[in-house]
Amino acid sequence: ADLRFSTWAPPTHPLQPTGWEPWIQSIQEASEGRISVTLFPSEQLGSALDHYDIARDGIADLAYIAPGYQAGRFPVIALGQIPFLIANAKSGTRAFDAWYRNYADKEMGDIHFCMAYLHSPGTLHSKEPIAVPGDIDGKTVRPAGATIGQLVASLGGASVQVSAPAARDALEKGTADAITFPWGSLFLYGIDEVTPYHLDMPIYTTPFITGMNKAAYEALSDEDKAVMDAHCTSEWAEKVAFGWANFEDEGREKAIASPDHTLHEPTPEEVKAWQDAAAPLLDAWKADVTAKGYDADTVYQGLVDELKAAGALYE
Amino acid sequence: MSLADLTALGGFAALFVMMALRVPIGVAMGLVGVGGFAMIAGTGPALNLLAISPIRTITDYNMSLIPMFVLMGVLATRSGISRELFGAGQAWLGRFRGGLALATIGACGGFAAICGSSVATAATMTKVALPEMQRYGYPTNMATGIIAAGGTLGILIPPSVVLAVYAFIAGQDVGELFIAGIVPGLLAMVMYMAAVRIIYGRSAPAGHKTPWPEAFRSLFELGPTLILFAAIIGGIYFGVVTPTEAAAAGAFLTGLIGIVRRRLGWREITESLVEALRTSVAIFVILIGALLFGYFLAVTQTPQKITAFLVAMDLGAYGTLLIILAVFLILGCVLDAMAMIILLVPIVFPVVTQLGFDPVWFGVVVVMTVEIGLITPPIGMNIFVINSIAPEAHPVGIFKGVTPFVLTDILRLALIIAFPAIVLFLPGTMG
Amino acid sequence: MAITARPGILARLETVAKAIETVAGLMLAVITIVVFVSVMGRYLFTSPIPDSFDLARLLMGATIMWGFAALGFRGRHISVDLISHILPPVARRLVDAFAALVLLGFTALLAYMMFSRVSSAYFSGETTFDLRLPVWPFVALTWGGAAAAVLTTAIRLVLIVTGRAEALEAEAGAAPETNAS
Ligand code: NA
Ligand code: NA
Repeated sequence: ADLRFSTWAPPTHPLQPTGWEPWIQSIQEASEGRISVTLFPSEQLGSALDHYDIARDGIADLAYIAPGYQAGRFPVIALGQIPFLIANAKSGTRAFDAWYRNYADKEMGDIHFCMAYLHSPGTLHSKEPIAVPGDIDGKTVRPAGATIGQLVASLGGASVQVSAPAARDALEKGTADAITFPWGSLFLYGIDEVTPYHLDMPIYTTPFITGMNKAAYEALSDEDKAVMDAHCTSEWAEKVAFGWANFEDEGREKAIASPDHTLHEPTPEEVKAWQDAAAPLLDAWKADVTAKGYDADTVYQGLVDELKAAGALYE
Repeated sequence: MSLADLTALGGFAALFVMMALRVPIGVAMGLVGVGGFAMIAGTGPALNLLAISPIRTITDYNMSLIPMFVLMGVLATRSGISRELFGAGQAWLGRFRGGLALATIGACGGFAAICGSSVATAATMTKVALPEMQRYGYPTNMATGIIAAGGTLGILIPPSVVLAVYAFIAGQDVGELFIAGIVPGLLAMVMYMAAVRIIYGRSAPAGHKTPWPEAFRSLFELGPTLILFAAIIGGIYFGVVTPTEAAAAGAFLTGLIGIVRRRLGWREITESLVEALRTSVAIFVILIGALLFGYFLAVTQTPQKITAFLVAMDLGAYGTLLIILAVFLILGCVLDAMAMIILLVPIVFPVVTQLGFDPVWFGVVVVMTVEIGLITPPIGMNIFVINSIAPEAHPVGIFKGVTPFVLTDILRLALIIAFPAIVLFLPGTMG
Repeated sequence: MAITARPGILARLETVAKAIETVAGLMLAVITIVVFVSVMGRYLFTSPIPDSFDLARLLMGATIMWGFAALGFRGRHISVDLISHILPPVARRLVDAFAALVLLGFTALLAYMMFSRVSSAYFSGETTFDLRLPVWPFVALTWGGAAAAVLTTAIRLVLIVTGRAEALEAEAGAAPETNAS
């Protein structure tokens, strides 16, 4: 089988060379060439926002999906966006994938779930120092997603939505005062040049999925299904996410080493203040999944336990 | 040749047949895109493209700047700004030989700063400037040729619908492209004026002399328009607003100025809204079709193959670029400017970036190239539009009148290729 | 073979098309104002209109689709006019009918497929960014435009086949031609 793998990241994004390409090569070798995968990067087969449907409808056989791009559609996995929960994207990804496997069939029933992974936690980067939640009041923030947007609004800030490439300009010219962004990408997009201040704590991450079209999976021979199954595991999720996590983590090291950057490590009291500020988001998440018929506390505790066991819980 | 290659070739053939039979360009591209995708990936997935893609295209926030900039241009026309621009040009330049021609080009440039379309600029200026030039004894060929050329400033000087569409398709920043269009646009205006002086400096009649106080008053009347344009471009340049926000502010303030100056009533405003809507829908239909066609091209891997082929020919970066531009020029004879951008940019963009050319610079180069197609035979949209407004001007005559300007266009293109800084300097200072 | 048009029907069709366009045009004005006021709010009070981003883009989708319905009726799409003006009138009408038929086919497929987007937005509980409003009513409104476009395009096809399209243009009046390029 020749599978189309649609992604919306550019081919230079760390995920492609360090994540997907080795994964694809391993699949080709394990299937002795019976399965080949062609990557279609940069939204060639559709908008980033539509990648779940692209996999579901068979426009591509495999797709890189950001479930959070469609607010409200996938409430369970949205737990991955709740701030101050996940400390790292390596063992954190393994734990997250293991946890979400329990719910994927129900929440993403019309695709074949392959794996879930995270980017290395991002934080607040700003033109002026931000240390406590109160510092957000009156500031304009480019949030990473709807959840962070709600946090900003609840703290008296305004959200401005600009694309990642336009973010640098928005900050430099005052359209935004701060941004939540992963560390490595900060340097990739040149945003580091306009945001000298950083809150040194893992604020948020974003879950991503590699999903497969159901019919494309069913069409494989049992032997080839076994190959795909062996490549859709928590271990592979960690491997795929690893290079990207390294790339982002190096950005933080770079900022620490640079005289132009000031990282503020919050005191335990400040951490507590941030976590309190974010508490309503967790309550809102619980209400959302309860409304969809889940036992919210069980689902939540499941992730906390997995993260704790993997040493990736932010405490 | 693989099945994918044959499907791609068949797709292009079907596309041209349908377009020749007057199927709307966007619809032809969309149907071929879906049909071709079905042949490669199956009917179900192909039909699902129709469920997903068109609604995503029309709900893309960044694309909503197109209807707003179109609206701004329509409101400006209805408020009589085109007449004021020409009036000011006449007051200052009318005293010279060929002065009305210079005034026309200046007014075209000024109007282009509010209007995103070349055809609309040409149409508006035909109504305003042609009767005046005829009154002072300009031969119709000369007068209409000048307007046809001046109209092409519409898509070079920002705002520009075509540059916005290029940005969308090539994944570039609209604001940066708009800023990049400013200097080449002004250069175009200056070169057109120089061409008028050189070619018509002796033969063209002079207009009348305007007393200086009146000339200054004409500038004063233009004040609100100039401030508005400066605010919009300044807002984008300094990053104070996103291009979409600038478009909304531009349309809103143009309307407001028109109302305050009693140029726009309820009727004019609703009519402007309907007109802007019609134009915008026509553009979106093309965009929808272009994306569907693009998915088809992607699954056949045509762009990658063409890239590999052109790079393997080893003509060097500039040799390959010239081949690409020649294709644009030749197709520009028969195709609409925007259709060409939409059809060809997805194919050649990977080539161009792989050769190391700047994507923003290439956007301006491409727009200048397709702009030449607007004024060359046999299909030159500007020519046809002028002809439909001024039936006394024969298309062949207009083509004759525009020829000197086509030559300056080619010279300008060569300058921009030789000195990319003409394009890239200004956006480079954006930060 | 031109059948004399019954002005009553044409005038009524024209009234409906005009009404659709006017409402859609006013929606365009609303979107423009929402974006403008939101920018002002952001600058002056650090408080943009909540959801102005999603409202603008979702309303724009509906506006464009309803405009598409009106355009289907008027036949003012951007097309290449390479051969039709050298054709005799009968052949030209055939070409026009073919083009309208293809447009109708595309529009019908689009409306049929787009409906699945309405149901998926409804069942998946997709919401807007700030206010978490359900998205499906906007998608349904947009789909309504696509469905209306099937109707208007079919009417235009009938008018072309029966030779009444020209009478319709006369009814609409000589509105200014606009073009994108
Ligand atoms: Na312009
Ligand atoms: Na041409």
